[in-house]
Formats: sequence, structure tokens, C-alpha cells
Amino acid sequence: MPLSTRGRQAGPTIGNNRKGGSGRTLVACLLVSLALFTVSCRFGEEGPLAAARGAFQTVTLPVRYLGATVAAPFQGLGNIVTNLTADQATLSELRAENEELKARNVELEEAAQSAERLQGLLDLRDSNNLQSTAARIISGSGDSWGTTVTIDKGTSSGLSVGMPVTTSAGVIGQIVECGPATSTVRLVTDDSSSVSAMIQSSRAQGMLVGTVTGQLELTLIGADQSVSQGDIVVTSGLGGVFPKGLPLGEVVSVESVPGAAYLTIVVEPFAHAENYEEVLVITSLTEEQRATAEDIAAADAQDSSSTSSQGSSDGGEGEDGSGSDGQSGESGEDGSAQDDAEAGTTGE
Amino acid sequence: MQVSDRNRESRSIAVLALVCAVLQLALAPNVGLGNGRANFALVFSACVALQSGGRRGVVAGFLAGLFFDLSTTGPIGLMAFCLSTSSFALGLEERNRMAGDLASATAHFAVASLAVSLAYHLAMLLVGQADSLLDVLVFRTLPTAALTFVFFLPFDYYFSRVHVPSGPSLGGGHFSRRGV
Repeated sequence: MPLSTRGRQAGPTIGNNRKGGSGRTLVACLLVSLALFTVSCRFGEEGPLAAARGAFQTVTLPVRYLGATVAAPFQGLGNIVTNLTADQATLSELRAENEELKARNVELEEAAQSAERLQGLLDLRDSNNLQSTAARIISGSGDSWGTTVTIDKGTSSGLSVGMPVTTSAGVIGQIVECGPATSTVRLVTDDSSSVSAMIQSSRAQGMLVGTVTGQLELTLIGADQSVSQGDIVVTSGLGGVFPKGLPLGEVVSVESVPGAAYLTIVVEPFAHAENYEEVLVITSLTEEQRATAEDIAAADAQDSSSTSSQGSSDGGEGEDGSGSDGQSGESGEDGSAQDDAEAGTTGE
Repeated sequence: MQVSDRNRESRSIAVLALVCAVLQLALAPNVGLGNGRANFALVFSACVALQSGGRRGVVAGFLAGLFFDLSTTGPIGLMAFCLSTSSFALGLEERNRMAGDLASATAHFAVASLAVSLAYHLAMLLVGQADSLLDVLVFRTLPTAALTFVFFLPFDYYFSRVHVPSGPSLGGGHFSRRGV
């Protein structure tokens, strides 16, 4: 039983003073909060609060590191349970797939050796000034809002906002905040993320966007384009942020809704950030890794084709034709839809 | 002895702040329920508000919210606003609500958790961070509130059954009993 309740209520003078004092404190705190909120929204990642946040992230780095280290052994628990409960059919299927992959591996080894030789020749000619920095994932997202990870490199290592981040399996995201010693990477699976992408085989270009469910969707691919399950999705280089040709994921389903201008394509990402500890931050691109004028023209032509075919089929639904996803911020110079969307994400 | 009680409560709050800060930084990012992440800043501010209330609770809520804002990617000041308000509401009626009254504190926190989570995510929706109200409610608000509530339970039990104050609580209580 609380000792003070009855007694405090019996003393109206002190009680009122206390309530009045806390009320004034509340008003003061709310005013300060609103001021901070306004400044934060107004200046974004460039204001004084961003510097304070960067300093805070640096100071708290050891604690985050500790948490990530302790949690690391438990990350694979889900996979262990899945493996233990796999049925015989699944195991047979995996064995068959393993055989197939072995055969495929032999072919790829030959191709890889050939590519290696060609690469040696290219290295002589190419003044490849691609710069990259290795970093370590130290923490996941601290809130429920963004699907992000924190890496242990920041501005002191030459990183800055907008740089793409990749693992050995494929692209995982892009830096959205950069402190002196840490950076926050928004993953491609975040629902506010979008990356210019294309189907590797057919070169059909679109936007790979994250969803709140953690899946990826490849949008802006016209219904007349050829896409099938199992196709590989790579970065297209439009927008100038991600290098052209980095692997992103694999198409797991393609749905064509009658009358719709674009296909509904679900993509399984190659790289899951929770499965990796080390990542590579790409700090600059070579000209060859950027989209060429032909690529941009092809994207525009594809976009126009999709829009016109949709306009003729259903009377012009989706008239903007750009597949606007609400993220277009700073338009790219070429004006392509994909470029716009990726630039918008970068600018956040 | 009033001085020793005050010191004891200050020490308790300091230890609680340290524990919740470590949990917010080290545990919250690694434990998720869907898109939800536990909000230990809310746990801390609610414990202080339910125990001490008044000005101390509001200030604790504000500082905890600021800590949360700095440790995440959202706008700075938003969670500080939410937690200041929730702490004020939780500490409004009486002090030491947690002492020996597990159910009442749990119920109050459940409401506060849902309200803070909803307010925070709706504000994020209003500033253009989401397209769909359904996403905000189903994929963000509910998992966050549920996970925060689950992590509050051990604290609730501790302060209700284990760490029960032995003397009168701080603030105006002793003055009132003396009839001032």
C-alpha cells in the first residue's frame, strides 16, 4: 500500500503546488520538444541536431557493439529450426538442386577463368578509380520505423550520405546518415527505399522498392516486357548512385494483371543484412559503372512504351507513366523515372 | 529519514536509467517483433512516473525521449514530446502506484504504451514517412506497443513486489501528512 497517497491528497496546498509545478515543467518540456522537432524536420541531416546525433552515436558505439556481439550467436537460430524441421521431400529437392549447382559451377568456373584473363587485360587499360571501404555491421535498427543497420565507419573514414553498401552477395542498401565514427545504412528492404534495377537477361529496367513486409518489388516493368521466375535482378546504374550490374536479387513471382500497365514482380534479395558482418561501402564510381546515354534512352523508351500501351488499353490510367512512388525528390538530369525515384531516396 | 529516502530514490532512478539505456542501445536493435522494436525509454519514463510522478517524472520522460530520438533515425524531439506527455499523465493521479499494485501499473502502462506508439507513428505518417495508415497501425504501432509492454513486465514486477519503498515517498507526501 503506498504510504503517501492518502496523506498527500489531504494536503491541498502542497498537492496543488506539486501538480502546478509538474504542469509548468510539462509545458516547458513540450515547448523544447516542439522546437527540437521543428529544427530537426527543417534542417534534416545537415543541421546542428544531426551533429549532436552523430556525436551521440559515436559515444554509444561501444554499447551497440556489445549488443551486436552478444546477439550474434542467436542470429542463426531461425535457420537451425528450419533445417531441423525440413521434411524428406525438401531434402531430396535440395540434393537435386545441389547436383545441378555442381554442374553449373563447372561451367561457371570456366567462364570465371576466362573472365579473369579478360579482367587482367582490362586492368591494364582501365584506370579504375573505384574506391571502396570495408566496414562492419554493429547494430540493427533501434526503432520500428526504419529497416536500417549501423556500420562502424563514418565521415572520418571518408564516407558520406548516399554511398551504396554491398556485401559479397549483393547490394544491401545505402547510407542515409553519417556520423564521425558510424553510419546508418537504409536497407533495400526498407519500404522507403528504391533502387534503379533491371532484369539481367532481358535488360528490362525498373525500380526495386522495399515494402513494409520485407519483400522487394520490381516496379515500372511494362506488361509487354519479358520477365520470368528465376530471373536475376541487377542494378541498372540509372541515377548515378549504384554502380551498374551489382546483383540485387532473384525474381520469385511475376503477376500480370489484365489492363495494368506494369507487371507485379516480387524479388527475393540475394543479401540479407542479418547474415553478414562485413560490408563494402562504395565511395566513388567510374564512368563505366554509370548508366550510359543509351541506357537512359532505353529506359525512357521503355517507359514511354508502357505508358502508351496502357493508355491505349484502358483509356489512360496511370497517365504519369513514371510509376511515381511518392519519393521523387531531386530529379535526375536525364529526367527518367527511375533516376528520379532513386535520387529522391538518396536525398532523404 | 527523508534524506536517505530521497537518496535511495535518486540512486534507483540512476540505476534504472543506466539499465534502460543499455537495453535500448544493445538489446532493442537485436530483438524485434515484425517491424516492432521495444522502447526502453518508455519503460524507464513510465517506471519513474508511476513511482515518483510530478516534475521528476516529466523531466525523466523528456530526457528519455530525447535519448531515444538521438539513438534512432526519426525526428529529434518527437519521442521527447510523447514521453513528456505520457509521464505527466501517468504521474498525475498518485505516487507509488507500482508499489504492491501490479495490475494497476500494468494496465496503465499498456494504455500508455499503445498511446505513445500510436502517437509517434501517426506523427511519422504526418511528416511523410509512410504511405498507408494500415502499415502504420498493423506493422508498426501494434508490434512496438506489444514488445514494449512485454519488456515492461519484469520492471513492473520488480518495482511492485521486490523493490517496495520502506518509507514515505518523496515530494509533498510528508508535508501533507503533517498538515502543511
